[in-house]
Amino acid sequence: MRLKKISLASFRNLQKVELEPGARFNILYGNNGQGKTNLIEAIYLLGTLKSFRLAKNSELMTWGTPFALVKGMVEHEGVDREIALVVEREGKRVRVDQKTIARPADFFGSLNVVVFSPDEMAMAKGGPDVRRRYLDRAVFSGDAAYLGFFHDYSRVLKNRNALLKKDDNDGLDVWSEKLAEAGTRLIARRIGFLREIEGLLREFYRSISGNGEDVGIAYRPHLLDRERLPAEGTTLLLEGLARTAAEERRTGATAVGPHRDDVEFILNGRALKQYASQGQQRSFILALKMAEIEYLRRKFDSPPILLLDDMTSELDRERNRNLMEFLKQKEIQVFITTTSLQNLRLDGIDNHRTFLVSDGEVSQQR
Amino acid sequence: MVHNSRSLTKLVGELKKLPGVGEKTALRLAFHLMKSPANVSALAESLLEVRARVRFCSTCFGITENDPCSICTGDRDSSAICVVEESQDLLAIERSGAFHGRYHVLQGALSPLNGVTPAQLRISELMRRIEAGGVREVVLATNFSVEGEATALYLTKLLKPLGIRVTRLAHGIPLGGDLEYIDAATVQRAMEGRSEL
Ligand SMILES: [Zn+2]
Repeated sequence: MRLKKISLASFRNLQKVELEPGARFNILYGNNGQGKTNLIEAIYLLGTLKSFRLAKNSELMTWGTPFALVKGMVEHEGVDREIALVVEREGKRVRVDQKTIARPADFFGSLNVVVFSPDEMAMAKGGPDVRRRYLDRAVFSGDAAYLGFFHDYSRVLKNRNALLKKDDNDGLDVWSEKLAEAGTRLIARRIGFLREIEGLLREFYRSISGNGEDVGIAYRPHLLDRERLPAEGTTLLLEGLARTAAEERRTGATAVGPHRDDVEFILNGRALKQYASQGQQRSFILALKMAEIEYLRRKFDSPPILLLDDMTSELDRERNRNLMEFLKQKEIQVFITTTSLQNLRLDGIDNHRTFLVSDGEVSQQR
Repeated sequence: MVHNSRSLTKLVGELKKLPGVGEKTALRLAFHLMKSPANVSALAESLLEVRARVRFCSTCFGITENDPCSICTGDRDSSAICVVEESQDLLAIERSGAFHGRYHVLQGALSPLNGVTPAQLRISELMRRIEAGGVREVVLATNFSVEGEATALYLTKLLKPLGIRVTRLAHGIPLGGDLEYIDAATVQRAMEGRSEL
């Protein structure tokens, strides 16, 4: 999968931008605040219809304009498709080859993108919400139905929380059952994804670390017995809700469910968070991203596009070399943002295009 | 004053309150209306007429000009009641010709998030109709949205203990789809494929 052309109009500070990226490494350089990450965000948006910065529609439009436009030409298995995305205050509209797409599922797989940014490097140390967000994004990228299930769950959760805050709780049992049902759907898919990538993660970690250290990744449900998941998910969630009823009434918030769960990163049988060095943590996240890319490559028979946002300072020489080697081998199209070409380690990479991003303008450097 | 005309601004403001109408559409509609005075009076008349004559049926809570409505008084199978969220849903099922029983319009779906709890819906009225006897089957045709599904489950819990057959339309309908927008064939298939709860 490859992005051959991209054009933007009134997207954040990028008034009018057109570029033709190369098939392999594309370097976007310039000072901070010039629009590099905005460009990366636009590519991500074209693939997922979502902003990885969790931005609202109105934030994506240049101030004072009624809409933003992102258009890309994507080549997949020798076929070119044009994806056009219009962002308006009220919503997003997408057209593929001039045809309007009504359901996100019909759009799915048109452009697969994976983003790798310092936020994810911080995942090893951060709170459960960061890992949950990562997990949901990763599951969705390989499973079109997941987004719908995720929205359903969020809606049930909001309704249930609203009811918990009322004096009259009539119907709470119904919302609990719906929460358990919708929650199990999410948990089953999350666990399924983690099981699929664990082997790949282990493999990539070994090749990065070059020693016999063993890693793992496991779903860690909040207050539920993980051994009985996902098979008995509905029962477990209902039991959990019953157990926490008093707490829920006090806090007015649903106490168990996938919105509270976490993912555990494991090194040699112990929690990565407490027992690993900074270097080991970085190797772990790097291996995890490689596993995610490889998982998508297998699923779609073609590698996704990788967006490396501001990663030059996050990876040392050795890990950077590992990543570049992996990307070269897998023939992945990559977009890299950096503030300085000197800091970028492109050891042995000759096939690249460089673009200067300055004050909302993008120009290719020869 | 956005449009140099107080009355035009007011009209656009009123139009914008309608579902699915934003600023742009409201403006377009307003200008269109201004250009065709004949249509304007006809539209204004029918709006007032609808307001004066259309009410909710005191039995099924569907819209009607005569209370009770023709479906409630007509020669229909009174042993089956089809429960829908809104009158539009009733009309969609009627258009399909797939159902020969009577209806009950809940006038909404459970949504604590929007302040809708069982007390705000026409649920107690439904229960009174069933307690009056003669109803053997209740078909739950609420939407397949999160709220519609929760409403169906809530009603199932109330109705099952009464020994009534409770069925739900089958998922022949696009997920998250509102009944109102679905063509007759789809509703027919869904009605045939309804399942016991
Ligand atoms: Zn009636």
